[in-house]
Amino acid sequence: MSLTAEALTIGYEGRTVIDGLDLEIPEGEVTAILGPNGCGKSTLLKTLARLIEPASGRVLLQGDDIHASHSGKLARRLAILPQDPLAPDGITVGDLVRRGRTPWRGFLSPWREEDAAACARALEAVHLTHLAERPLNELSGGQRQRAWIALVLAQDTPLLLLDEPTTFLDLVHQLEVLSLLRQRNRDTGLTVVSVLHDLNMAARFSDVLVLLGRGGLVATGAPETVLTPDNLERAFGLAARVEPDPVTGKPMVCPL
Amino acid sequence: MRGALLIILLVAGSVAGLLWGQVALAPGALWQGLVTGEGPAALMIGTIRGPRVGTALGAGAVLGLSGALFQTLFRNPLAAPDILGFTSGAGLAVVVSIAFGLVAPMPLVAAAGGILAALLVTGIAWRRGHRTPPLSIILVGLGMGFFTSALSNFLMTLLPQAEAAEAQRWVTGSLAARDWGHVAQVWLPGAALLLAALGQARLLETLELGDDLAAGLGLRVEAVRRGLAATGVLLAATGVAVAGPVPFVALMSGPLGARITGATSVAGRLLAAAGAGALVLMLADLVARSALPGIQLPVGVMTGILGAPYLLWRLSREMDRGKL
Ligand SMILES: Nc1ncnc2c1ncn2[C@@H]1O[C@H](COP(=O)(O)OP(=O)(O)OP(=O)(O)O)[C@@H](O)[C@H]1O
Ligand SMILES: [Mg+2]
Repeated sequence: MSLTAEALTIGYEGRTVIDGLDLEIPEGEVTAILGPNGCGKSTLLKTLARLIEPASGRVLLQGDDIHASHSGKLARRLAILPQDPLAPDGITVGDLVRRGRTPWRGFLSPWREEDAAACARALEAVHLTHLAERPLNELSGGQRQRAWIALVLAQDTPLLLLDEPTTFLDLVHQLEVLSLLRQRNRDTGLTVVSVLHDLNMAARFSDVLVLLGRGGLVATGAPETVLTPDNLERAFGLAARVEPDPVTGKPMVCPL
Repeated sequence: MRGALLIILLVAGSVAGLLWGQVALAPGALWQGLVTGEGPAALMIGTIRGPRVGTALGAGAVLGLSGALFQTLFRNPLAAPDILGFTSGAGLAVVVSIAFGLVAPMPLVAAAGGILAALLVTGIAWRRGHRTPPLSIILVGLGMGFFTSALSNFLMTLLPQAEAAEAQRWVTGSLAARDWGHVAQVWLPGAALLLAALGQARLLETLELGDDLAAGLGLRVEAVRRGLAATGVLLAATGVAVAGPVPFVALMSGPLGARITGATSVAGRLLAAAGAGALVLMLADLVARSALPGIQLPVGVMTGILGAPYLLWRLSREMDRGKL
């Protein structure tokens, strides 16, 4: 599923946040969106997922304008995990994940074999099968984050958008979540787009980076071409050196 | 299944409602009256207590269901149609129709008043470009409730004394002198609205995850929210049309039903709230009409006495949790 933004302009009440952005999210790859707080990462991600109507421009999912498409059918092709989903009181992990099947179920249609199978696969992928009966609020932050990811995995879409899936997680849990998405991408060809804050993690786990600044798109492409001192200065106003990561050889940002 | 407990309570409560009152019936007489349809008990049940209990069950159920619907929709235990001013709005519409002698079916008048109050509350709380926080709606709703009640009281001072007394009884919430017509009037639309609510339970379940995730799962969030709110307002109005704007039943029933049945799914919680509402209103009416010899209190007085402490407790809990 390729996702393309054409001349996208997005704003709130007349205040423009993103102005005339052209962007291509490559199919079957892992893309990370980076940039300083308030530059419009969440706004862009929500627009790519048809949750925000752009002031002008289009978002095309394999050629179809998503803002003109049937939202229920779109939910079978594209899933989004927003920055702050709400957990219903007392819900169990299993129940939460089952709600990810909503787009595949008709009005009043019963729970089917394939729905159960999709939920089981999703729980398996995030290693929460043994906690399915536990209430969500009794889980640790990392486990809870994985439960939300299982919900969107159960949606069984070829394209997955995530807004800061690793915020609030310690380093080990960040690695866990990002390698899980990477694994899913390798195993099933899932296209992943996530908003991330940790530049080094993004470089390590992504094929493509999209770097935004206050003034719009700064650079996009492979981590090596995007994470340069020049681009970091333009996006964050950050003076930094970039060295190869001694473990992976990917670019590693060292602020000065 | 703890749902069975609620059903047992409802059956036991209904039997008590038929047996007791200003005059108590013997269980044997009740049985004979029910089976043969003859004797003084049959008369009592057929013309007085039967319709009264039937109306109480139906009105309590629709009010309880409406409360649970709004509480889930707003994610706030205070968001019930009685707190939001919808029931007093429906009540005002009925007083207006009495005062000006309009001839229109009571349920339609009440529904119109409830919908108008709901539109006004959401309209006043609405701010351009922002999602209205539930607390603003609740506060505006409280104001709407006071305003419409005051207007009802004002209109009643203009009525001749006999009619004013009747209207006064009515706006307090009363189940006196109900007949089988009232029973049909609440059960038929109530059953249809119950089905409508259950049909929307899965949408409500998805909406509970937050607007963005729900939209990502393919929901048309605003349309879904409007459909649920309309169902909730009509449910409340259906109850008000036959029982008056009885306070606190809608507020209490959702949490009470969930406590009794342990239901966690949205559909289960809605059904439990309907059952709890039926139970609360019926028992409150039973106490109201049999507690004091020679005096039949309007049921609204009783639910007020029961409900006000509950509201205070709820408010203090919300304050402790930092939500107020
Ligand atoms: N609902 C809204 N109404 C008005 N303005 C908004 C709204 N949501 C975001 N904004 C504004 O739009 C700009 C971009 O916000 P956005 O949430 O997209 O930033 P972000 O890059 O995701 O930031 P963060 O890293 O803090 O999550 C900000 O200036 C923000 O104040
Ligand atoms: Mg954000």
